[in-house]
Amino acid sequence: MLSAFRSALATPDLRKKILFTLGVVVVYRIGAAIPSPGVSYPNVQKCVGEVEQQGIYSLLNLFSGGALLQLSIFSLGIMPYITASIIVQLLTVVIPRFEQLKKEGQSGQAKLTQYTRYLTMALAVLQATGIVALAERGLLFSGCTEDIIPDNSVFTLSLVVLTMTAGTAMIMWLGELITERGVGNGMSLLIFLNIAARIPVEGGNILNTRGVEIFIVVCACALVIIATVVFVEQGQRRIPVQYAKRMIGRRMYGGTSTYLPIKVNQAGVIPVIFGSSLLYLPDLLSRLVGDPNESSALQQFIQQNLVDQSSVLHILMYFMLIIFFTYFYITITFNVDERADEMKKFGGFIPGIRPGRPTAEYLRFVLNRITFPGSLYLGTVAILPNFFLALTGEGQNQNFPFGGTAVLIMVGVGLDTMKQIESQLMQRNYEGFLR
Amino acid sequence: MQTVLNIMLIVTSLLLILLVLLHRGRGGGLSSLFGGGMQSSLAGSSVAEKNLDRLTVLVGSIWVITIVGLGLMMKMNV
Repeated sequence: MLSAFRSALATPDLRKKILFTLGVVVVYRIGAAIPSPGVSYPNVQKCVGEVEQQGIYSLLNLFSGGALLQLSIFSLGIMPYITASIIVQLLTVVIPRFEQLKKEGQSGQAKLTQYTRYLTMALAVLQATGIVALAERGLLFSGCTEDIIPDNSVFTLSLVVLTMTAGTAMIMWLGELITERGVGNGMSLLIFLNIAARIPVEGGNILNTRGVEIFIVVCACALVIIATVVFVEQGQRRIPVQYAKRMIGRRMYGGTSTYLPIKVNQAGVIPVIFGSSLLYLPDLLSRLVGDPNESSALQQFIQQNLVDQSSVLHILMYFMLIIFFTYFYITITFNVDERADEMKKFGGFIPGIRPGRPTAEYLRFVLNRITFPGSLYLGTVAILPNFFLALTGEGQNQNFPFGGTAVLIMVGVGLDTMKQIESQLMQRNYEGFLR
Repeated sequence: MQTVLNIMLIVTSLLLILLVLLHRGRGGGLSSLFGGGMQSSLAGSSVAEKNLDRLTVLVGSIWVITIVGLGLMMKMNV
């Protein structure tokens, strides 16, 4: 393990990439600690201490690494970007022009990305306004009387909104930089980071409030969950593929038999991220449209059934959304027709099945079957903490970085990044991390 | 002084948003996860892109410094 680390750092190319990623991470964390102008830092600290975990934005706060409640310049995190990309991806099904762009290949894809970025900025303005409005009315921390933004003139407030929006742009750029020049996928790496940053704080919380025994039990549970998640994430079905021998010029090609790996959880963590951020959308909308001071019936309904993490409807919706997004995402990323075509082109076939359309059909069949348990697993792990919440009535929720969503995301992103590093190492014939 | 910093913050914020949006969004963040990636890494970065990077870093630093400055001034006043 350690020698693998050393060889990773010994490769100049890879070392540069890893150091670059670390540098961006440092910049990001520093930014997450800088309070927005006009926000009274000591007052915010007092309030955060008072209402650590009960905020309505618990999951969002987790995704932003605690930056949201601190009203820092990076407080929106990458949430707007995620929401924007969900919306754009969903729109590809609805709007014909988007669908066309998607099929166009790289240039169309680039255009879609550009649309996503514009949409991100719009969403960032909306969310920043929402949060600043909440903070200014003292609703961000229910029960805390300190004045978070002392000078609440329109000018100061819009300044905060502008700063947060610019911060979101900055985060977007940082994420893209990591994807482009670092290791792993920038966006998911930043989420990973945010969640990891919360672990010491939350762990300390449990240690202080619940005592050592419970802390140990929680740690043990977390380890079991992590082991299970790693186990399932690595599971895959290997479909044998046989390549025909052929002569091109004077050289012989093919004649090998390999396999096409189909993971149990082919979709990774994306469905979880999407599901949780989509569940939060109605709340955001109702807050923006309605008058935040008095809650209408609709708003109350949303609060009770969608925001409250122990409600049956919330759990059910979350579960269904995850299953939906698992299938949705797989149909987008794993194009069976393309795979079958590729195989045919290079003279490959699955033993017993004709190349071309029957192969695509077979692949689709296998994929759908294997995704079913995969999606159930994703949903179950994600809603596990909610059940405990319902049982005990109080205590930990999704905010809790050792359970459900957080573990899924952390393990998923961790494995992904490790595999990327490993594949880079493999190019140079080094032994990887995973044996 | 406060007003100067405020104005600077507004200008740099708007510039920062503009500059980031001007980037081509290569690597494409999450959308590369949507099966669009893999090909983009081959194209080298152009000179214009490099300059844009530098400019963004510059504006970003000024932006952060302005915010820290405003924060410090607020602390002094209170």
